[in-house]
Amino acid sequence: MKLLAKLALAGIVLAPVPVLAHHSYAMFDMGKTVALQATVVRFKWQNPHAFIEIDAAARNGSERWSIEMTSPNNLAQEGWRRTSLKPGDRVTIWVHPLRSGARGGSYAGVRLPNGSTLGEVGGGA
Amino acid sequence: MTRPLLRAAALALLVAAVPASAQLGAATQSPPPEGVAPDGGAGHAKGHYHELDALPDWGGIWFVQAGASGGGAAPLIPKLKGEYLERYQAWRGEVAANDGVTRRTRSNCSPPGMPRIMRLGQYPYEFLFTPGRVTINQEAWMQTRTIWTDGRAHKEDPDPTFMGDSIGHWEGDTLVVDTIGISDELDLDTGMPHSAQFRLTERIHLSPDDPDVLVNEMRMEDPEALEEPFEVTVRYRRDRHGSLIEFQCAENDRNPIDEEGNTEFL
Repeated sequence: MKLLAKLALAGIVLAPVPVLAHHSYAMFDMGKTVALQATVVRFKWQNPHAFIEIDAAARNGSERWSIEMTSPNNLAQEGWRRTSLKPGDRVTIWVHPLRSGARGGSYAGVRLPNGSTLGEVGGGA
Repeated sequence: MTRPLLRAAALALLVAAVPASAQLGAATQSPPPEGVAPDGGAGHAKGHYHELDALPDWGGIWFVQAGASGGGAAPLIPKLKGEYLERYQAWRGEVAANDGVTRRTRSNCSPPGMPRIMRLGQYPYEFLFTPGRVTINQEAWMQTRTIWTDGRAHKEDPDPTFMGDSIGHWEGDTLVVDTIGISDELDLDTGMPHSAQFRLTERIHLSPDDPDVLVNEMRMEDPEALEEPFEVTVRYRRDRHGSLIEFQCAENDRNPIDEEGNTEFL
């Protein structure tokens, strides 16, 4: 099943869903979700992908992560705005991590400083 | 040589030596396309704008509806043949060997071209009507697609391009588009090559069930690469007051391609 999921991500089993993106999502482990306690470093609202840079809490201090999102126009439909995040905001952010183990992932959801949430939150540890 | 003659000779030399500057200000006068009268066609839009009012209501921007192709049964996959099938199988093998990751030969800032660019999930489209043409602006890579509806024929031996050469006509409220000249360096679906004979027909119309859904019935033919024509229906949902967002890939290229063709993540 896991292999199948990867193949599907690579577009091999594609075809049923006409969702071709700017690049393949095979680099992410879309079956896995990680929750990060983080401070926002930068939030870039731009095509082809918006992204968030964060300092995530780690055992020995913090780690810099890069979180890729979908397009601003798609995010706007979920309630995102260019001003939804600003540097220094403390958030919980859920991501599908890079399969390489590098500190990056694909955005799933976020809990904002005011407690409201966007996207798919929950899961991960 | 008299002085005026000298001057004329010097001027002639200058003009001859700088051909580019000699053309400045002299616009090319293209002949009318085949099937278009010298005083007709999309270039003579004035006086025809009122005719657009008879066209259907495609205002707003349109997002591909995820999972909305086909009738819900098993997915239909293009049936490649011969050398094209072999190339696809080789590509699949390579992806499997590379842990499911597709290697790319061009930048992620290079658009997919037709027909895949009409099926992108993340970036919306808009359809603009002007006399004699329909223009499809695509948020993805800020691409522009022109469909000539002024009665012209296809260009003879069109240059192979990402968008191809599209002509269309209205059958009632359905825009019927015929596209040839799509570069054979592009895919017809992920990893699936096609030949220079590739031809796409699209029938684009509002859904009879929901006027906020635009339906694109795509039919792909390729006598060299396809065993039989491949048909897929793409549906787009309307965002009436939405607008396209700028797409400057080179300014935000966080996914460069490394020497082995793998997409990096910055």
